Amino acid sequence: MVELRLPRNSTIGKGKTFPAPAGAKNVRTFRIYRWTPDDDKNPVIDSYELDLDTIGPMVLDAIIHIKNEVDPTLTFRRSCREGICGSCAMNIDGENTLACLKPIKDIKGDVRIYPLPHMPIVKDLVSNLDGAYAQLRSIQPWMQSDSAPPPDSERRQSVEERAKLDGMWECILCFCCTTSCPSYWWNGDKYLGPAVLLAAYRWVADSRDEHTGDRLDALEDTFKLYACRTIMNCTQTCPKGLNPAKAIGRLKELQLERKI
Amino acid sequence: MNASAPHIEVMRSQLGRARGLGAGHSGVGHWWAERVTAASLLPLSTWFVVQMFRLGGADHAEVVKWGSKPVNATMLIALIITTFYHAQLGLQVIVDDYVHGKAHLPTRLLVKIGTSLLGLLGVIAVIKLFVRGSAAK
Repeated sequence: MVELRLPRNSTIGKGKTFPAPAGAKNVRTFRIYRWTPDDDKNPVIDSYELDLDTIGPMVLDAIIHIKNEVDPTLTFRRSCREGICGSCAMNIDGENTLACLKPIKDIKGDVRIYPLPHMPIVKDLVSNLDGAYAQLRSIQPWMQSDSAPPPDSERRQSVEERAKLDGMWECILCFCCTTSCPSYWWNGDKYLGPAVLLAAYRWVADSRDEHTGDRLDALEDTFKLYACRTIMNCTQTCPKGLNPAKAIGRLKELQLERKI
Repeated sequence: MNASAPHIEVMRSQLGRARGLGAGHSGVGHWWAERVTAASLLPLSTWFVVQMFRLGGADHAEVVKWGSKPVNATMLIALIITTFYHAQLGLQVIVDDYVHGKAHLPTRLLVKIGTSLLGLLGVIAVIKLFVRGSAAK
């Protein structure tokens, strides 16, 4: 039934404070969610006071600094540090975004960092995305064409046809949108979520794909697609500036179009 | 580590869980009906509010006379059916969002039956008003 409060083992306690180095002038406090599966303790918020003059401009620079210089136990994912791999997706200052694209100076007051919301936690800022990855696989995000490709070249597409994929191929699957969606929080086991639906529409909209109808069939479901309540957190939070809500709307329109 | 490993209830693969029971092939009708009823309620509700202002201060006989006109009775019934149908669709969404597990199906049924009966009650009341007014002529 309805859950009004966090389960007892999820309530967050107060953690340790790591003071700023002596002589630091430009100090900011980073309040970071910590939890480890290695003991039976509840999660806590640790506070790290950093001298902004000694670190790079982005939130990712700050947490890499913490791991290297202050507290090596802090666990998070990161790779490209330029917004193309999607690894460092986390909840910063109340909004899901990529730590590598979020400037510290854009945040007022303490910098609060949590893992992506409402997913199982592996450790600290690392959330378990296995379910979301499996949902992506379930929509078969690859080309399905029965016509043979030309023997000596790639499948061709007009400039107009190619333009329809703009705003979708840029998705890096960081799942900031999916984990910001209340509908996904409520029914994440059945609702596919905005990232996966954007990927689904990317293939529905691809002129080279010949299984459009099958794709729409597989999505026509009270939950898989229609659990979208047009809350639009997805579009608001997308660190790449994409519009998953519009893609979901287009899928609904196409399903309507073939019915009437 | 615990001496006895915790019991794992679900070992099904993530892909198996994601595919679930497959698509139910419904949802587009519900989604479209929500929008059509919402749009229809705009003119119907406006008409109703205007009529209520016009009837302000009227006595019983006048209201019965108003309700005996076929156009008024038709509009009233259309308003009532659309309202309760829209309520049914909307409440179903709330139930789908917040009620999980075994309680889901009975709650959904309760919403269907409840809104249908309330709508029916409204329609019967309008018919009664219409018949009473027509007989008084």
